[in-house]
Amino acid sequence: MGLHFLGRRLLNTLVALWGLGSLVFLLGRHDPAGGPEQQLLSDGTESGIGTESRDPAAMAAARQAVRHRLGLDQPLFYLSQQAPAAANGARWRWNGTANQYHHWLARLLRGELGHSLRTGQPVAGQLGAALCCTLPLTGTALALALGAALWLGQGLAGPRRWWQGPVRALLLALQSAPLFVLALGLLLLLANPQALNWFPGYGLADEELAGWNRLGELARHLALPVVSLVLAALPDLALQLEAALRHELGTDYAAAARAKGLGEAQLIRHHALPNALLPTLTQVTGLVPALLAGALVVEVVYALPGMGRLLAAAAALRDYPVVLGGVLLTGAARLGALLLADVLYHRADPRIRWTR
Amino acid sequence: MDQVAHRRRQYAALAWLLLVAGAGLAAPYLPLPFAPAEPDLLAVGVSPAQGAGAGHWLGTDPLGRDVLAGLLFGARTLVLVTVPAALLAALLGAVLGSLAGYGRRLAAPAPAWLLGAGLGWWGLALPRPALGLAAAAGAGAWALGQWLRHRSGPVWALSLDALIQGAGALVGTVPRLVLVAAVATGGPLSLTGLGLLLVLTNWPGPARLVRAETLRVRALPFVEAARALGLPAACILRRHVLPLALRPLRADLPLRLAAFVGLESTLSFLGLGLPPDTASWGRLLDAARLDPAAWWTAAPPMLALLLTTGALLILSKK
Amino acid sequence: MPSRNLALRLTPRVATWALLAVACSCSTPPAPPVAGAVRIRWAQDPENLDPMVLPNPQAIEAANLLHGSLLQLDYAQQLFQPALATGLPARQALGDSLAVLTYELRPEARWDDGKPVTARDVAFSLKLMACPPGLGLPNEDARLAYRFVREVRQEAAFPRRVVLVCAGQAPTHLQATGTFPILPEHRLDAAGRLRRFSLAALQNWPATHLPDTGLTAFAQQYHAFRARQRGNNLPGCGPYALAGWTKDARLTFRRKPAWWADRLPASVPAVLRAPCPLLTFEIVPDEATAGLALQRGELDLFPQVPARLFARLRQSAAARQELAFHAAPSFEVVTVAFNTQRPGLADAPTRRALGLLLDAGGLLQATQLGEGQRTAGLIGPADPRAGCCDSLPPLAFDPPQAALLLGQAGWQRHPDGWHRRAGTAAPATALRLRLRYRTGDAMQETIALQFRAAAARIGVPVALLPTEAGALGAALRAGDFDLCVRTVKGNPFSCNFMPLLHSRAVGEGNVSRFGTAASDELLEQLAAAATPAQQARLLRRFQIMVREQAPLVPLFVVPTRLAASRRLAGLRAYGLKPGYAITALHRAAAPEPAAAPAP
Repeated sequence: MGLHFLGRRLLNTLVALWGLGSLVFLLGRHDPAGGPEQQLLSDGTESGIGTESRDPAAMAAARQAVRHRLGLDQPLFYLSQQAPAAANGARWRWNGTANQYHHWLARLLRGELGHSLRTGQPVAGQLGAALCCTLPLTGTALALALGAALWLGQGLAGPRRWWQGPVRALLLALQSAPLFVLALGLLLLLANPQALNWFPGYGLADEELAGWNRLGELARHLALPVVSLVLAALPDLALQLEAALRHELGTDYAAAARAKGLGEAQLIRHHALPNALLPTLTQVTGLVPALLAGALVVEVVYALPGMGRLLAAAAALRDYPVVLGGVLLTGAARLGALLLADVLYHRADPRIRWTR
Repeated sequence: MDQVAHRRRQYAALAWLLLVAGAGLAAPYLPLPFAPAEPDLLAVGVSPAQGAGAGHWLGTDPLGRDVLAGLLFGARTLVLVTVPAALLAALLGAVLGSLAGYGRRLAAPAPAWLLGAGLGWWGLALPRPALGLAAAAGAGAWALGQWLRHRSGPVWALSLDALIQGAGALVGTVPRLVLVAAVATGGPLSLTGLGLLLVLTNWPGPARLVRAETLRVRALPFVEAARALGLPAACILRRHVLPLALRPLRADLPLRLAAFVGLESTLSFLGLGLPPDTASWGRLLDAARLDPAAWWTAAPPMLALLLTTGALLILSKK
Repeated sequence: MPSRNLALRLTPRVATWALLAVACSCSTPPAPPVAGAVRIRWAQDPENLDPMVLPNPQAIEAANLLHGSLLQLDYAQQLFQPALATGLPARQALGDSLAVLTYELRPEARWDDGKPVTARDVAFSLKLMACPPGLGLPNEDARLAYRFVREVRQEAAFPRRVVLVCAGQAPTHLQATGTFPILPEHRLDAAGRLRRFSLAALQNWPATHLPDTGLTAFAQQYHAFRARQRGNNLPGCGPYALAGWTKDARLTFRRKPAWWADRLPASVPAVLRAPCPLLTFEIVPDEATAGLALQRGELDLFPQVPARLFARLRQSAAARQELAFHAAPSFEVVTVAFNTQRPGLADAPTRRALGLLLDAGGLLQATQLGEGQRTAGLIGPADPRAGCCDSLPPLAFDPPQAALLLGQAGWQRHPDGWHRRAGTAAPATALRLRLRYRTGDAMQETIALQFRAAAARIGVPVALLPTEAGALGAALRAGDFDLCVRTVKGNPFSCNFMPLLHSRAVGEGNVSRFGTAASDELLEQLAAAATPAQQARLLRRFQIMVREQAPLVPLFVVPTRLAASRRLAGLRAYGLKPGYAITALHRAAAPEPAAAPAP
């Protein structure tokens, strides 16, 4: 596992990212329902009594004008399909570099993600602002979920205790509750003047606060969202770790260690855990993209201005540059997490290695 | 004693699963007072206490649909769509994950790749189709030359690991709405189509688990020994690696069922999921979103899901 | 690996401490709001405050705070009242299709820098909206909407007089000339580059011509100015200035300390009042969360409360102590529209028969919990103009009668459904319907499921096509449906149904694709009606025509519901969106006492 290997994997990752971006670019703009011009012009089918009548020809011209302004009237790709086969038998036409894909790629290589079609603001700025809210939320939730899973998993796999049964049942119950039920349930329970009124109901801390006060307010506001995310991620992690630990504890080396007189807790921590960690590592690295992509459900329930809402609104309104920026960001996180997972596997079990 | 308790629990789990399957398959023939997709406009969002008199034993959801009928017909959807889709996703994930983890590569002589590319160019009628034919002919000549001179040319290989991991990342990252644009040009999907869509979007999770475990198992001494004995790779993978590498799926598959049920309703929100007149537990859960105070809409499917997941987990333990 | 083991051992403790710390800090009460501030719930971010774009209702509401216009809507009287203008425009017919409107601007009207608002600013705003495509201005929508203003005349001797020449002569139609935001020419076009062009020249710019250098230079300067503003917000002469905007979280508007209308003589018209010093719009997408925040005192006003939440809050004694509830019928009518170009639905008898399968009364009860009203026409029964139509009873829900009528319309019931033959040789048409509605909309879904169930009872198969909002418009425009659920938005002034049912609007607003020569003529007469009596007579004919031809079936009028803190004074519910008059809102010193329990 040398630098050569890492370099090769990084190169692979970049190629995969390019493929991902290209595919989403081409698929997203190939929308049978029509592009963003439908969302940017007022919808004729929503027009009410007494609005100015618009005839279809004028609306079509206006739509064309929007497409032209946004550069969407250019061909999509270097190649485009021709309706009737041309004289030389080619069903495809070469468009040269005057196409949307080329412009997008060229700008991307210069490090520009473009501007939002709806507001004209730079995409990078919008993503950055949303990340400022999302990262504290998802980062804390991931760290807490991982810590709690390691603790619970060891406890559940350890010597028999009275609380193991109820905890397992509770984890299963959490697993069968969808995230929005968890989030709404916590809200109705802990931020409700008619039940327990402990936490603020929505939003982030006031911008006017500063220093520790602001941090305290932020913690108060993020407590419920973080707890709902932890409760949603915990059962999967803890139960999987328990299953893996149980398997390891049934193997020969565990029996040998017990025969040596090692305590059960020592055995789990020093011998079984490193071997049982592989599925957990996989699951945790699988959660990494969600760090950046945000948690739409929790953001909606707790009215947090994060990536999930930004990307969902952009996708619903066909704001391609914002969607693509989000896809590239989460795609990079996902591919990076795969690389990270392989490095971590090697740390957890040095026998794991790669043939090219 | 422990064994007996475990055995008893297994019987109970099996009994519950049979009950769910039986209820699902028999749902259309049961004498239910209400159909699952028919709103009762006179009893919208009534609790079990208020609705029992009118025949809504478990109340109705905020759209006026009977919860009991939804639960029973939802079991049918679970048995016919969700469980097969979850199993298929796990199977596909296991196959691809083990291939990726075992480090197989897609190798072929260079002329074969060139031949394929040239014929593809010509077949798709890309600009100047003759160019594709020329490339194919060149590749053929190259192969012929090698064969005549009894020399093996270069072999080009693609790493299956990179390919499968890349595909997994792709499936996981493409936003659902873009997926909708790609899939649903027409109306809503058929149940089979929906099942396939669920499989296609959900194999990467199991694949990653199996791949990680394969990486570990591959390095174990007995696999090394098998390789040293000269057993074919496919045989080692099937006989020696897979049985161990599939272990994480045992805990993962039952837990994933709940996620699948949730996903059906998410896809419905995009106009792509189950048809609106098909009952499912996910839809019942989703109806609770309209009125969080109507606990009776969400509680029965959650309880049923909890018992099903728990039963599957118990059965998955030896 | 000792380091990792240490980390593992410490994780649960660290987590416990962190949770404890958070829980301890929770005992502090929520911070009190700024004195006199009013906090209002919005469901989504306005996205873009560019007055030429305004993509959603929230943006329009914000623009009304930031910008002034010639006329403004007085919610209490349901009329347009003069705002920047001194009075309603003097109107004069020109030929048989044009009208000349003369507005006088108030001498007190000032921009923030003290410069007066003049006719030049009005002309500039109109020309900005009319700028041809190719300049990169996002004005496609505004360009279409104000196309009917053909000419703007100014007189050098009277810098505050604006004369507009408009197409069309109906008074309600001409009100739109007063509603666009007025922008400052001296800030956006100091060089006066747009002055060289007439409005007509900009509107009729040939598509083949590239915009000339003067226009291009103006556009560049305008873009540069706009890019420096937060959210594309442009300077305005409205009562409020944008003080803060966190996307997807909160917008704050601060009252200008010296707004020009404060200097008006004693009797300030209602539309020019702005008593609240600070308006905060909190963006809370989830309704349950917003309901809780209202009960906790974190919000003062929750407009458009969903029916179920409204009913639950009203029944709760604790909530009644803190909150006041208001409701009024709105001008939105929920309808089910037929695609009249489908072979099975081309004849009125079939459509009338299928209309009997919609249980409007039950649906009103189920989706609005009884609030709102059933309606027989597109103008609701609460509207004074509908007084003439009270002889028209609402449709009854009657599936057996529907089956009977289908039989009379030539359909024959077979074991596999209904069939009809146009002639002996023609192939049979089967009655299979596809109902399109917006996915995720509970009301529309209830209507769809009810219709499907009722139709199934008489053997008509209905396939439901829930469609994602972004794709629904295109599907409806293309006519890719048999029935669709549609909410028709109305208002108290206009009787112009041409955007909905005129054959010229087929492919746009006329999703029913309906239109005969007679119906088109009736719609045109109704839109141009000059006197209330004439309007009432034509309206009656129109409502009867809709019932007989049934291009759409009106079901019920949805109500406006407001829930607000009792500390909020001046609140009333109105039928027009957003349902309240923000110019009347302010925070009272003492809460309004709780009224007698709601029935």
